[in-house]
Amino acid sequence: MARAKVEQHPATGTTLVVMVGLSIAFLLFIAFLNVVKSGNILSEANLLYAALVFYAGAGALYLGFGVTGTDAYIKFASLSTWAGLIANTGAVAHRWYEAGHPPFASLYEMLLSFVWTLAALTLIAEKKYGVKVIGTVTMPVAIVGVVLMQLLRSEVRPLVPALQSTWLHVHVTLAMLAYAACALSFALAMMFLIQDKLQTETFLAATSIFTVGIYAAVLTRFERWGGFNVIAWDPENKAEVFISKGVRLFVTIPDLGWLMLLVFCAVAAPLVLYIAALVKKTDSFLEIANRAVFISILLQALALVFFLLRVRAGSYPSLDAEGLYPTSLAASPFILSALVGGIFANLLYLLLLWRRQDLERLLPDADALDRITYKTICIAFPLLTLMIAAGAYWANRAWGSYWNWDPKETWAAITWLVYAGYLHMRITRGWRGRRAAYFAILGFAVVMFTFFGVTYLLPGLHAYA
Amino acid sequence: MAQSLRTTFRKTWLTLSSIKTGVILIILVVIFSAAGTVILQRPMTDPDDMQRAYSPGMLRFLDATGLTDVFHARWFVALMVMVSLCIIAASLERFPNAWRFFSRPYKSPDANFRRALPTQAHFAISDEEQGLGAAERAFRHLGMRSERIVRTDSFSLFSERHRISEMAVYIVHASLLLIFLGGIVDALYGWKGFIQLTPGGQGNQVELRNGGVHQVPFAIRCDAAGEETYADGSPKKYWSKLAVVDNGREVLRKEIVVNDPLVYQGVRFYQASYGRTGKMDRLILTATSAAGSSQEISLALNQTADLDADTSVQLTEFIPDFVVQDGHVYARSNDVANPAVHLVVTSKKSGKSVNVWLPEIPEISENASSPYVFQPKELKTGVFTGLEVSHEPGQWAVWGGVILMAIGLTFVFYVVHVRIWVVPVAEAEGKMTLWVGGTANRNRDAFELKFKKIVEAIEKELKPESASAQPRQATSIAGH
Repeated sequence: MARAKVEQHPATGTTLVVMVGLSIAFLLFIAFLNVVKSGNILSEANLLYAALVFYAGAGALYLGFGVTGTDAYIKFASLSTWAGLIANTGAVAHRWYEAGHPPFASLYEMLLSFVWTLAALTLIAEKKYGVKVIGTVTMPVAIVGVVLMQLLRSEVRPLVPALQSTWLHVHVTLAMLAYAACALSFALAMMFLIQDKLQTETFLAATSIFTVGIYAAVLTRFERWGGFNVIAWDPENKAEVFISKGVRLFVTIPDLGWLMLLVFCAVAAPLVLYIAALVKKTDSFLEIANRAVFISILLQALALVFFLLRVRAGSYPSLDAEGLYPTSLAASPFILSALVGGIFANLLYLLLLWRRQDLERLLPDADALDRITYKTICIAFPLLTLMIAAGAYWANRAWGSYWNWDPKETWAAITWLVYAGYLHMRITRGWRGRRAAYFAILGFAVVMFTFFGVTYLLPGLHAYA
Repeated sequence: MAQSLRTTFRKTWLTLSSIKTGVILIILVVIFSAAGTVILQRPMTDPDDMQRAYSPGMLRFLDATGLTDVFHARWFVALMVMVSLCIIAASLERFPNAWRFFSRPYKSPDANFRRALPTQAHFAISDEEQGLGAAERAFRHLGMRSERIVRTDSFSLFSERHRISEMAVYIVHASLLLIFLGGIVDALYGWKGFIQLTPGGQGNQVELRNGGVHQVPFAIRCDAAGEETYADGSPKKYWSKLAVVDNGREVLRKEIVVNDPLVYQGVRFYQASYGRTGKMDRLILTATSAAGSSQEISLALNQTADLDADTSVQLTEFIPDFVVQDGHVYARSNDVANPAVHLVVTSKKSGKSVNVWLPEIPEISENASSPYVFQPKELKTGVFTGLEVSHEPGQWAVWGGVILMAIGLTFVFYVVHVRIWVVPVAEAEGKMTLWVGGTANRNRDAFELKFKKIVEAIEKELKPESASAQPRQATSIAGH
């Protein structure tokens, strides 16, 4: 059955290998030029670039494996991931040596460590648990991480007094491990839902709600007459522009707001069609909804390209200050991640839509996935506990109190409570399967909010990260 | 009446100890804590900002319900107390059973238990001793302890590991209660405040967060304070040299920095802020006479220095951040951003005085008519160090709880209670079967693999003695 599917698309196999090979050769050529220019092979930037090249190759091969099911790809994808991980380790070590402290102090350094953890976990999940397609999900995340790193300010910055503590490293290492474990449990729960025969339409609805949420959040920056607000960037100091303490200066990019509004409508269309299909009970709406997803991806890509172009070039007026101010991608890392994340989620949906049978063939069975999800949370929960405890101890040394009800702290406690709820329902009430998987997904959503949302929306004492 | 009261109590108790109540309480805590992070909170937020953010009616509502200070509101404390009660009730309700299970382990399984156990295997044996001996050797070989259980009518083998794992969840719950206890103690008997000192000064009055003042029974003295910056100007280190003076005697001395407080009698002093007071400490300047001879003088505020036998100079004003408006000099702020000093040069003979401003301020200063020209060399301004002071007697319960929880969670997730029973069973026609069964309280997949290994080991031990003893059914039948 799966064979038949592959035969319908005979071109994918070799074409993909040739394309991946060519693009890697191209990237390596550029890397070679970089090395010649800088005269230093083992600089952090070059190591990071090498990691990017290998992760990109691995991502393409994993995706190729997901699409065609050719087992040979997975071997090369693994090799590529290993190579990327080695280059990434080099970059981490270089950074560590240069800065004199483990790389956890800025968003750039956190991403560096996060990508490393993600790649390492991918290899572990693949080798130890046999979850081979996991790279399809994790490698694109790693690629986005490395690309984001190129945009963020990367020079080694000295640590401000509050961060000069061993507990910083303990706390952040634990947080990183715990969050990575939560991310893995989320991916596994999603795979469980695929194996548990959750209808593809439900995934359509979930993807659509997720993307609508992203664009709703992006549209909070919509300004009158179609403008789009982004934070101003001071290229000389490589920092955001502040009007007063804690108040950032926003500049308005004209017309970009209209485009974002258009894309919002485009990503909302599949959801509307899905609801229509539910109400009218006709499948033809679903067909259109799937096409709408495809169109929305193209529009989202367009929004991303325009966002990149407009933000990179030119200065824009501000409502709060006279004159024109430049901006930078580095000033809007969250919007950028959100836009990329939206595209990525929709692409994964398309993969599921077109290749569900192959995925089902390749993934471990539902029972095994359910058990591994639980085991991952069994690892994540103690790590979360220790992370909070280490944070409390550090806060007691730095701020004078072990618990300040700061938003980040409170949300960490909420995350802990959600997973505690999961464990109680699972152990005492015997929740298995779908309900447990939904709970695991909810847990990860809360983790993501604690990690990104709190930083973005609810600033407090945790101003550094 | 008494009966119905008892049933009501029993019912309340059961409701309180049910997992459903627990989950509902967790959800409530989640909702209200989340609200506390989204709604601006009272002591931290400026009252003006609160008024700007919410309409008056809304603000009145939020204040009345305590939503502007969620984490200290009475109902939130009540909710936390409910959570504690729920944990206590749930633990007490389930504990006796678990304790029975823990203190009186089930060592010789009966026929019903043997039939129902999902993970089991059977071997044919010639007599009891042969079977049990082989099993004992197999256990020893695998590094497991086993004991012979002798009952009036049976003779069997029991091996177990990590029985403590059954108690682990109570350890976790107890640790959580211990942490809550620490929090409650701190809420009732702890305090937190702020004290600001200038080098050389000392104090014992701590300004509390709620506006009150707490007097500590000793004085804290600041001997020096300072900051260090990196080459790019960002802060590297803030430090204060502190000394504790108790009953007039200096008892403790420590240089504190951020992340390293001073502790005395359970009161902790943290480096919280550092800055300039905006007050002048000392100004060093050169005075050059019309004849060209120059001298260096040092002046504090309101201090007078003689320049020669006739002329003296007094420093009368220091303005840290000056601005001129309508012929007057005003201070714009207390930051030493744009300082100006006012000197009065007086001649004893004539009694005439001249107002000199540094820097020269047109229309106000009379620098030109001064017999001396002044050149400022160095301005020393006062610094202050801000110390966060806290007393948290409950924190030891919190740290104890954290350690206990780490231990408890390790047992909950990673220590498995494994039990294996070996029972020789006499069957019809005088045949004997060795029944081997086992269970684990978690991680059953791993246990099944282990059980298989044990069964293989027993099989190997049985074989050399009698080649005829073939395992009749040596596979685990669990989960398949």
